[in-house]
Amino acid sequence: MSETIIESHLAIRKDKWIGKPTKRVEDPRYLTGTARYVADLELPRMLHAVYVRSPHPHARILSVDTSVLPGLGKSVWVFTGQDLRDVPPLIDHVALDNLLRTPQNVIAIDKVRFVGDAVAVVVAGDRYAAEDAAEQLSAAVEYEVLPPVPSVEAANAPGAALLFDDLGTNEIYRQTEKHGDTEKAFAAADRVFTTRFHHNRYGAAPMETRGVLANYERSEQQLTVWSSTQMPHFLRSVIAGQLGLPEHRVRVIAPEVGGGFGQKMCTSPEEIAIPFIALQLGRPVKWIEDRHEHLLAATQAKEEFINLEVAVSNEGKLLGVRGEFIGDGGGYSFNTESALIEPALAAKSFPGPYRIEAFDEEVAASLTNKSPVAAYRGVGWTAANTVREIMIDEIARELGIDPVEIRRRNMLRSDELPYRSVTGQLYDSGSYLESLELAMKTVDYDAFRTMQERLREQGRYLGLGISSYVEQTAWGSDSSAQAGTPLPSHDNSTVTVDPSGTVTVAVSTSCHGQGHETSYAQIAADGLGVDMADVKVVFGDTLTSPYGLGTYASRSAVIGGATVARASADVREQILKVAANMLEANPDDLVIEDGTISVAGTPSVSKTLAEVAYAAYWDSEVRSDEPMLTSTRFYDPPATYANGCVVVLAEVDADTGVVTLDRIVAIEDCGTVINPMIVEAQVQGAIVQGIGGALFEQFVYGDDGQPLTTTYMDYLIPTSTDVPPIEVLSLESPSPFSIGGIKGMGEGGQIAAPAAVANAVADALAPFGARVRKLPLAPDYVLRLMGKIGSPNG
Amino acid sequence: MATNPKQVVTLTVNGEAHEVLIEGRRTLADVLRENVGLTGTKLGCEHGVCGACTVLLDGSAVRSCLIFAVQAEGAEIATVEGLAEDGKLDHVQQAFTDNHGLQCGFCTAGMLMSVHALLAENPDPTEDEIRVGLNGNLCRCTGYQNIVKSTAAAAAAGKAARSSAQAS
Amino acid sequence: MKPPPFTHHACRSVEEALGLLDADPDGSKVISGGQSLVPMMNLRLASPAHLVDLNPIPGLNGIDVGRGTLTLGATARQHAVERSADVTAAAPLLTAALAHVGHPQIRNRGTVVGSICHADPAAEMPAVFLTLGGEVTAQSAAGTRSIAAEDFFDSYLTTALEPNEIATAVTFNTPNGSSGWHFEEVTRRHGDFAIIGVVALLTLADGRISDARLTIFGGAATPVRLPAVEQLLVGVAAGDVDADLLAQAAREASAALRPGDDIHASGDYRRHVAGVLTARGIRTSLERASARA
Repeated sequence: MSETIIESHLAIRKDKWIGKPTKRVEDPRYLTGTARYVADLELPRMLHAVYVRSPHPHARILSVDTSVLPGLGKSVWVFTGQDLRDVPPLIDHVALDNLLRTPQNVIAIDKVRFVGDAVAVVVAGDRYAAEDAAEQLSAAVEYEVLPPVPSVEAANAPGAALLFDDLGTNEIYRQTEKHGDTEKAFAAADRVFTTRFHHNRYGAAPMETRGVLANYERSEQQLTVWSSTQMPHFLRSVIAGQLGLPEHRVRVIAPEVGGGFGQKMCTSPEEIAIPFIALQLGRPVKWIEDRHEHLLAATQAKEEFINLEVAVSNEGKLLGVRGEFIGDGGGYSFNTESALIEPALAAKSFPGPYRIEAFDEEVAASLTNKSPVAAYRGVGWTAANTVREIMIDEIARELGIDPVEIRRRNMLRSDELPYRSVTGQLYDSGSYLESLELAMKTVDYDAFRTMQERLREQGRYLGLGISSYVEQTAWGSDSSAQAGTPLPSHDNSTVTVDPSGTVTVAVSTSCHGQGHETSYAQIAADGLGVDMADVKVVFGDTLTSPYGLGTYASRSAVIGGATVARASADVREQILKVAANMLEANPDDLVIEDGTISVAGTPSVSKTLAEVAYAAYWDSEVRSDEPMLTSTRFYDPPATYANGCVVVLAEVDADTGVVTLDRIVAIEDCGTVINPMIVEAQVQGAIVQGIGGALFEQFVYGDDGQPLTTTYMDYLIPTSTDVPPIEVLSLESPSPFSIGGIKGMGEGGQIAAPAAVANAVADALAPFGARVRKLPLAPDYVLRLMGKIGSPNG
Repeated sequence: MATNPKQVVTLTVNGEAHEVLIEGRRTLADVLRENVGLTGTKLGCEHGVCGACTVLLDGSAVRSCLIFAVQAEGAEIATVEGLAEDGKLDHVQQAFTDNHGLQCGFCTAGMLMSVHALLAENPDPTEDEIRVGLNGNLCRCTGYQNIVKSTAAAAAAGKAARSSAQAS
Repeated sequence: MKPPPFTHHACRSVEEALGLLDADPDGSKVISGGQSLVPMMNLRLASPAHLVDLNPIPGLNGIDVGRGTLTLGATARQHAVERSADVTAAAPLLTAALAHVGHPQIRNRGTVVGSICHADPAAEMPAVFLTLGGEVTAQSAAGTRSIAAEDFFDSYLTTALEPNEIATAVTFNTPNGSSGWHFEEVTRRHGDFAIIGVVALLTLADGRISDARLTIFGGAATPVRLPAVEQLLVGVAAGDVDADLLAQAAREASAALRPGDDIHASGDYRRHVAGVLTARGIRTSLERASARA
């Protein structure tokens, strides 16, 4: 297990572009306001849809009196669950037999299961009029209110109301799995530490909310759906299946997508209901989610209860762990990845960069009357990393070991990789210790400790928090199986050189801010030997891009990048073959550089790519059997694992509990870097989302099941004044398994930042014996941790 | 539905007059986007927190979701579409692409207008002043690092342009 | 999130606005900056049939510094007030507090008078008004009356203004030369409404505290003055304000409040931190006053 050199069949051509901080080619349209998102699209005779949503967490729908609406069927239309009863419900795709299924009608038929569950859709010629009608109709829905189930605890209490009566339980999954010999580990332990941790429920909150525009051309029998989705092809398959349409009669377009972060990966019920309504009405119908609706009804994420027992030696060696991971799935075990998306992924990723050789995991998920939990950047991994890194710091503090030192003692060395974790994750390569050491050197750890001590004497409480992470990337079939939620997946790209010698790259991954048009163009430019300006990347339209699953789980750079590199290599060969005929040379002796093909060592014997491409298409003397210069390639990669370390320096106002972040240093190792500028910015953005979860963000529900965070005045996402400067440093351990050694990245910051912040606060408040048991670290909770008010559980 | 009375309103947007027939309740953001056809201005929250809909009203950065179009009659409105001239990015736009100050682009229009307003009032801001000046514009992608950097670069470019204008 | 229908009235005079308001006091809303009202309308939490718009009225945006007073017209924008050198000279406390009101775009449109009339108990302007003291000029079709700051705030989002009255101006008393002030609030994020905040204004005469005004906001249904703390301080020599006295003031401040819990903080937190901020308010105000004396 020492082979870390990229094998030749995995090599990609890396020349002038890969690895350079190239400016983004897509920027001008965003900067000039000409980029078009779903809300910006308008079609002739377009109608506007507005949802009527349940005001009750748990209720039976008795009646919807549509007769209150003047102009019904003429200027206003209404669709209820009854109208869509023939549309099959949405259901998860996880291949686990003992997971109970919770079919979700795209508009509720009998029962509503959270505040915001869809009850009806009102359609009118204008958004304002549609909202007027929706307001009227909301008052004309009769409910039988049922007892709410506001929490996992309530869900499993004796006599709890059932969200799905036929299941006979609200707990839809519980499974224990043993890895290694925990009995032996605990028997050998000097100390056992325990924690009960509540990871907060927060969410993606992209700047662009969800939105769908659907149009059915009856004469063509063609449905076109524009949706703010991360997965246009997958959505096409789901829409075709749900609506009973032949898939070739459905076209899905993801126009500009204003951020997704995983939330726009699963199929929203609205993405089925709106096309259905457009089919019925024969007119274009647009639904744009507003922010209030988004905070009520869009999927939420990350809430978990994690109970740990950790067996350690007096030297701080982690001998074994028993962990219970309980997910709060909300009203439905949501489609695609189910309610296990949090607890199962947390359990499988728990060991992180450490040598933990015995681990019992118990994974459970319950239904509650809240908006469902689904994907959001760092699924499961965030909660696992948070609880593990907090626990490691607590153990270090208890044992009197420095937090850096305890990590050194347990961390996997790079020469131990590839390494299969006790949960079956095959870490391909990495720089776990190197990242930690570089981070500590960058923050000047010893100097910080000296300053911390000095300022503490003045009554100032500074803290330093470390959070090391391993991030599973390259989500193909292998990664999802190693994550514990098996789901087949792969992607495809088509690279085509046209007769004039310019290049079109059509990819099935679907960008929503990550700069794919730039990164893929860099790969294709190097692969073909052309200028980036001669490459155009297209995506997001099922009509013009090859089939594939789209963009989520840090997979695009690895999978999309590899498919572009492979297809480019094919096309390069095709070009060389034609050029060889033209130049009467051996293809192996030819090189392509800056769009010119020449005989190696004899640059005067050359043809431009334009000349060769023209000949390839039109010159029967030299063209090959297949004149088109094109190739489509697929990739279903082996799992890869990025890694890194985030260090947060913070100060706590011991009188008010306000936490101020002073500085953040992040080390990121994602293997081969395509565009360092983009990588750096992805790390920064992810970290700030993690800061949101650590300090500000939480979807709060009252004991009555009512959501209390339904505006941006209550659901608090970080602003420019809440974040300190973030320094990002790169290490590069190419994957020995993946094409080009690319690993993918983008989630590590979110995964690591909450623990780094929590550890910084706990470090600052070490004199008070503070132990962080939940997030966010609002000032109220911080004062409780210090014992200045009430109890930490209050 | 009973139709609400409409009125004719004349708006001056990026120097051009637009006459629109609208209900009194239509927000400036909706009228810019739907009646004038300038969809660069975005709606991110419609309750005055996110800043995506920021436009300049007589030079001041305001939230166009919290102003009714009828209230903007007679005012000079500037939107993102008016920044570039003949396809050439202005110095703020250029600074944002040079410094990777945007990812998904949804907050960008509002951000650019806020930066213009900030630099008009404070041409040489400190990093703290930039952060405070932009804290009414949410961004979910960048973590603000490169937005702050872009703004500082735009300020420097503006300064350079002013001194070369003085020199010539 | 689109507002329900209403009729917009672009008023050209106060009289026109008062006439409209008088015709349908309960169905009408006065709008100046609209930065609190319009979000409520967009969320359909407010649905006035008539919107009486003061913005077009000439001369209503005055910023007038008088002898011992500062008068702001109903449409004087927060940003204009914040940037006014005259205001900073007369009432630096107001300038400092304005920097905490919302965000730049909000202050460009929002008005000081509007914020006071909206009477959010966690907002900055009502607390500053209550601390400085002064009066609201309330006009109706029947005439004009003055409402003193201490009589103005009734309850959560409720003031002494009648539905047919318009606050055409607010006059602040500006402190004299030997006073010092402090403004501080704890928020979840910069620009948010306060979880809890303090406004303090201490005046020294002959080395002793001659006047003490302390207001807590975010701790009750309205901003509240702290008479027990104020009484503790008046007459005390500046040099005698020591840690014990500050601790006692903090206890008195906490004891004066019965704040409730919400998603941002518990009542316990607010009570505790009200004490912390009160002590800080006294200390900093005294430093400022001593420096000027």
